[in-house]
Amino acid sequence: MSFLIAQSIINGVILGTLYLMMAIGFTLAFGVMRIVNFAHGEFYMIGAFLTLIGVKWLGLPFPAALVVTVVMAILLGGLVERFVFRPFRADELSGMIASLGLAMILQHMALIIFGPDPQSFPSLVSGVYRLGDLIVPKSRALTLGAGVVILLAFYGFLMHTRMGRALRALVQDQEVASIYGVRLEIMYPLGLGLGVALAAVAGGLMAPLFGVSPFIGGTPLLKAFIVVILGGLGSIPGAALAAILLGLIESLTSSFVSASAADIVTFALVVVVLLVRPSGLMGRAEA
Amino acid sequence: MSAAVSKKTVPTVGASTFVYLVIAALIASVPWFTGNVFYFHVGIMVCLAAMATSGLAVIAWVGQLSLAHAAFVGLGAYTSVLLVTRLGLPFVVGLPAGALVAGAVAYLIGKPLLRLRGVYFVLITFALNELFRLVMLEFPGVSGGSSGIAGVPKIELFGLVLAEQSQVYVFTLACLVAVTALLYLIRNGQLGRRFAAVEENPALAESSGTPTARTQNLAFVIGSSIAGFTGAIMAHYIGFISPETFGFQLSVSYVIILVTGGRLALWGPLVGAIFLTPLPEFLRGALEYQHIIYGVILIAVLRFLPQGLAGLSGQLTRLKGDRS
Repeated sequence: MSFLIAQSIINGVILGTLYLMMAIGFTLAFGVMRIVNFAHGEFYMIGAFLTLIGVKWLGLPFPAALVVTVVMAILLGGLVERFVFRPFRADELSGMIASLGLAMILQHMALIIFGPDPQSFPSLVSGVYRLGDLIVPKSRALTLGAGVVILLAFYGFLMHTRMGRALRALVQDQEVASIYGVRLEIMYPLGLGLGVALAAVAGGLMAPLFGVSPFIGGTPLLKAFIVVILGGLGSIPGAALAAILLGLIESLTSSFVSASAADIVTFALVVVVLLVRPSGLMGRAEA
Repeated sequence: MSAAVSKKTVPTVGASTFVYLVIAALIASVPWFTGNVFYFHVGIMVCLAAMATSGLAVIAWVGQLSLAHAAFVGLGAYTSVLLVTRLGLPFVVGLPAGALVAGAVAYLIGKPLLRLRGVYFVLITFALNELFRLVMLEFPGVSGGSSGIAGVPKIELFGLVLAEQSQVYVFTLACLVAVTALLYLIRNGQLGRRFAAVEENPALAESSGTPTARTQNLAFVIGSSIAGFTGAIMAHYIGFISPETFGFQLSVSYVIILVTGGRLALWGPLVGAIFLTPLPEFLRGALEYQHIIYGVILIAVLRFLPQGLAGLSGQLTRLKGDRS
């Protein structure tokens, strides 16, 4: 029993790390630009395909393919900000509806280019780590390790660089930030670009585990939604807490009850949190 | 904005409404000109989409965008199908029951739900739509699970089975006219003015004596009932329902129709449905392109025609008026 709990907790932490990578980009885009980006999951999908192209077609080593993916995703995110979201800056609702359209366009473009069938990704490592009775497949451990490194790097960027500080200032107060010289025309595309790049790199990391197809963006988007609602729209610490919580809840519920029960429990939790505390666990209250 | 528009159009409502009605009648009669079964089918799908979107429009009139609309369509569909197949009740009972159940559920969850505004309301309705789908999948005894319920009996009105596409088309057309007439009455009555006041400035509406919470809840109940009503017809026409039928994609398609047609215009849902619904029926072979076209239209309309296609004629007449 205790073994099953420990195993579930390990799986939960791995899941939570993935969810956090999805959620941080999503919440950053909302915090900086007030955009609820329904196309966020499609960037996860695009990241997975870019990494696949890098490894399988261009023969790049996996880390190099990930770097290329990140760079491409930042550029793509910046373009999307410029040509899709910029006109809706003053209008949250229209921006969100536009992102629904963007999601459809991206997903079906991938469908036209790559076809609907899932493509396998060459596995990077095989075998498992054993800690007593606990089993962690090496591929998952690698994903977890890479995810933690990337998240720490992003944290360092946000906390200790000039641009990171500017982004955080924008999340807190747009007007004051721009008065103090934060340049919106650079920071907006950068904010969205970095956000979707995190989603893309999550897609690249997950590709060896789950395979790649044009439809893989839906589930991570849902998870990002849940995490961000639970943690509070725009709050990064809230997202961190909620992501780990969600990973653990899902993993434990599906071990001890069933996978579909886990989904229902998390959605019911989302509804309750939105009703009782719309600003989320750690979000700021607003009008 | 919307209040100003409606005030301006009230005096000239006779002439412009007459023109719209003639155009609508012409478009509605297209299937008979061709006499093709396929065109009747497309006509039915347009009517159903326009009706469901009309419900969404009523909710939009008080300033809320619901992504749970498909779930209410599903509630109506399942209510009617279960009453007809399990209890042997006629469709004429199942249809109003579908509307009633959807409206009742909307009433029950409306009060806490509608305290949320803007993107928060969209997010919670998004979560609710998923919850509906998951819960329905969890009870296959009721919903048929992921394989759904097939062989739903055809629409039957007092002993007359609507077996032909053209008969169903007449019926859905009549229902659409009724729903549009209801929207027209609401829009031009006192209720419509209350809706517009709440949409434009909830705080001002509240302080000048409009009970905003109750007004929003009423709009939510009316809109969701229309969704349930549509769902019942849809289920008995298509003959198959499953929890997946009423997922996120369907909710999004209603939002696209509404936004393209015009979020606050009376004719928005109709214009949007006529413009967008035939697309998938004619592009069967190239589904991917159809979705890309949808996405591009949506973004382009948001950007260049925030009033939607229905607002286009208004913008044009205003231009003409300025020139003369």
